[in-house]
Parts: sequence; C-alpha cells; structure tokens
Amino acid sequence: MTENWKITLRVYRQKENQTSHFDDFQMDVNPDEYVLDAVERAWAFHDRTICFRHACHHSTCGACGMRVNGVEKLTCITLIRDVTRNGATLKVEPLRNFPVVSDLAVDMGVFYRKMEAVGARAVLPVTEAEIEDPPSKWDAEDSQYIRLSDCIECGLCMSACPIMATTPEYLGPAPLAAAQDQGLRRKPELLSVVDCEDGVWRCHSAFECTAVCPSFVEPARRIMNLRVQVVDMRLRKLFGKA
Amino acid sequence: MSQSTSSYISGPRPGETTWIWLIKIVTGPLLILVLMLHLIVNHYIGSTPTGLMTYTDIVRYYQNPIIPAIEILFLITVVTHSLIGLRGIILDMNPSRQVLSVVTWLFSLLGVFSVVYGIWLALTIASKGG
Amino acid sequence: MDQTRNQPSAGKFWSWFIPVGRQVGGWAFALNRVTAIGLTFYLFLHLAVLSLLAKGPDGYNGFLALTENPIIKFGEWAVVAAVFLHGLNGIRIILTSFGVGVTRQKQLFYGFTVVAVLIILIFTIRMY
Repeated sequence: MTENWKITLRVYRQKENQTSHFDDFQMDVNPDEYVLDAVERAWAFHDRTICFRHACHHSTCGACGMRVNGVEKLTCITLIRDVTRNGATLKVEPLRNFPVVSDLAVDMGVFYRKMEAVGARAVLPVTEAEIEDPPSKWDAEDSQYIRLSDCIECGLCMSACPIMATTPEYLGPAPLAAAQDQGLRRKPELLSVVDCEDGVWRCHSAFECTAVCPSFVEPARRIMNLRVQVVDMRLRKLFGKA
Repeated sequence: MSQSTSSYISGPRPGETTWIWLIKIVTGPLLILVLMLHLIVNHYIGSTPTGLMTYTDIVRYYQNPIIPAIEILFLITVVTHSLIGLRGIILDMNPSRQVLSVVTWLFSLLGVFSVVYGIWLALTIASKGG
Repeated sequence: MDQTRNQPSAGKFWSWFIPVGRQVGGWAFALNRVTAIGLTFYLFLHLAVLSLLAKGPDGYNGFLALTENPIIKFGEWAVVAAVFLHGLNGIRIILTSFGVGVTRQKQLFYGFTVVAVLIILIFTIRMY
C-alpha cells in the first residue's frame, strides 16, 4: 500500500516582464516520491506554463537543483517525506545568485564559463582523483584508468554561498574546487586566476557549499587546500624556487 | 569559446591577496596570546574593588619596561588584525576600485595613527612614575 | 523587469547577517563577523578612553567611577564574551584554512563554542 499525502506545492513563478509571485497547487503525493516528481505532476496536470529543468533523475546531470523550503537540494533525490509533512506546504524556488530565465530555471551561463576558465576537468585519471582508500602507491599503468569528476556542476554550492550573493565576480565554490582539483603545481597558470580578491581569498569559511553539495565534492575543504597551495606557490616564488 | 574570460574574473587587483591574508591569520593567534596576558594582568593586579587598576596601579605597572613593550606589541597586532578584517568586510560590499582605494588609505592612516598614539601614551605613562 | 532579483548584488551583503535557512557554518561566519565589528568598535573606544591616563590621576580615576555603572559593566562583559567567541571560532578558521579538521568543522565549531561559553560563565561568576 502506498501512502497518500495532501500537500500544498508552492512554486515560485516569474516570467519575463512580470513581477515574481508564488502559485499554490493542492496535490496528492506519495511521500516516498521525490520533490521533482511533485513539480512534474504540477506541470503535467495543473499548469503547463511552469518552467523547470530536469534530465537524468538520478543525481548525475545536475540539472534539477532548486531551493526546497529555502535549502538547496537536488530535487530528483530529495524525498517528499524528508522535507514536509502531510497537510503542510512544500516551497520550491530557483537557485540563488543566478538570473532567473523562467520560474524555476536559471541561467547557468556565467557559471559554466567560470568552470571552463579554470579548465575544470570532467574526467581525470584515477591516480589524480581523491578517492577513498587509494593504494599506497599507484602503478604507472594505473593512470590509464579514468574517472568522472565528482562535481556535476549543479550550482547548489553557488546558490548557498553567502559571498556569492554579494558579487557575480567571485569565482565561487565549484570553480575554486575545480581549480584545486587540477593542482597549482601541475597548472601554475591557474595561480593568477585564483590568487586574487575575487578568487580564493573571498571565501570566509562559511562551509555552506559543502553542506549542500550532493556529490561529495567538499568544495570548502578544497578551497582551504587551494589556499595552502597558493601560499606554497607564492612562498616558492619569493624564494625563487618556482 | 567566444567570450573572453577576463570580463568576469578579476586579475590580481590590489585586494586581499596572499600576504594580507597571511598577516591577518598570523596576527590572530599572536593576538590570543598577548590578549590573554593583557586580560590576566589587568584583572589580577588591580586595586579597585572590582579589580580594575587605578591610575597609580597603572603607572607603577608601567615602570617595568617589559610592560610597555608587550602593550605596544599588542596594540600593533590588534590594530592590524582588526583593520584588515574590517577591510575584508567592506570588500564584500563590492566597492568600486576608487572607494576601495580610499578605504585602504583611510585604514592605513588610522592604523598608523593609532599605533603612534599608543606608543606615545605608553611612554607618557611610563614616564610619570619617575 | 524583475530579472535582477535573483542575481548577486552588493545589497545582498546584508543577508549574511541573518543566517536563516543556513547551516552551522553560516551561523559561525555570521557570529564571527558580528563579534569582529563589535570588538573593532570597542577597540577604538578603548584607545580613546585611555587618553584620560595622560591627563593625570583625576581624569582617569574619575572615569573609573563610571565603570561601576551597570550598563558599562554589561558592556565589559559583552566584550569579554565577544573576545572568546571570536577568538575560538578564529582558531577553528585557522585550523581549517590549513586543512586541519575540515571534515569535522561543525564539531569544531560546537566544541569551541562550548569552551567559549564555559570560559564566559567562569568569567561572569568571578566578575560578579
């Protein structure tokens, strides 16, 4: 027997040239379904003008990021049961810090360009990936094995970061994590990209990014490590060893 | 890639770069040490009922040359840490380059003035016990 | 057009101050900022007040009488509280900035805050 809950799905609506507002949809849902299912059902049966993004439905594409009751989540893996109760409201809003294209879909263009600018790698050799329990020493031929990068470029971290809210110039957690992933010793040209006011020093250790990352990237830890790398590179340059 | 990346990635502007951050983070623990000293001394050798030092207590305490030395070190550390931090907060308000320049100058002046004033004050107090 | 509503803007700077819907790290960040601003204000006030010392015993001891005022006493207590909260949270930031304890930053924050509160309690009892 599947459970049935009655909830109010409160959807942020914003179309071009109109002011934003929320629309409420009274819905019957199975609490073991996902928030994305509820949004899709609202679109299918209540209002075909709701605009939102979704693709893989299993947390690999990063398309369905939204704020659920104010907190950044990947809606395809967020159980309705975990974010609301029977008879209560479920609010969905677009990600913060990106321009809204329509309703729940935001313009991720600048973000993707930042990822490109740091040369974010989508795949990397397993010898360079931070995996759990690596062997104490890799064999030379192990570098032929490649692995998808953890970051799915969903933008949840960019939405949660309190500094990202203050300026679009800040690189942001995901690009900085991608830069750390490459390593400054390996790619010294990234030093000037991250060692600047809107780069690694703008982070104030709020750790909001790691808290919302659905993909174990741990951007905050990577940014801290990137700082150590930057200091290391600068000290080396100072003493003429770089 | 059609668009240049430099339009939204700032180069090394005169901003909170590596060295400024390092100074802030080194002055932090240094502050903790000196501040603990300062707090303990100020509240354990005071002669008022509430443990604060009176004028005479202070002058006497300043006769030992290590005291003005520590207090001046404390002053430099705390003013540096505080002003760099405050500047960091202002950076988050996304000021224009001119405004940021003005802020940096103002804070530097304030910092230098505070330290000079503090050194003068410390030496003045020390001299009153002669 | 309402396009800019969701975009980063300098005005959103103030949103750090109200970490609603944020996790512990966001609260720690806000706490550190608030205490930093409070302590900076106190620092310069303190430096200014100390100039009374240069005026001789009457000026300064007259000021000491002011410190009996309960509002001033509360202010002094607040300064000490801010110092310990800011300082211990700062140690946490230094540790995580150098890669120590990053995976346990929440526990670090809770731990340091508890220590800070304990110290503040001890101080309060001794002060009063």
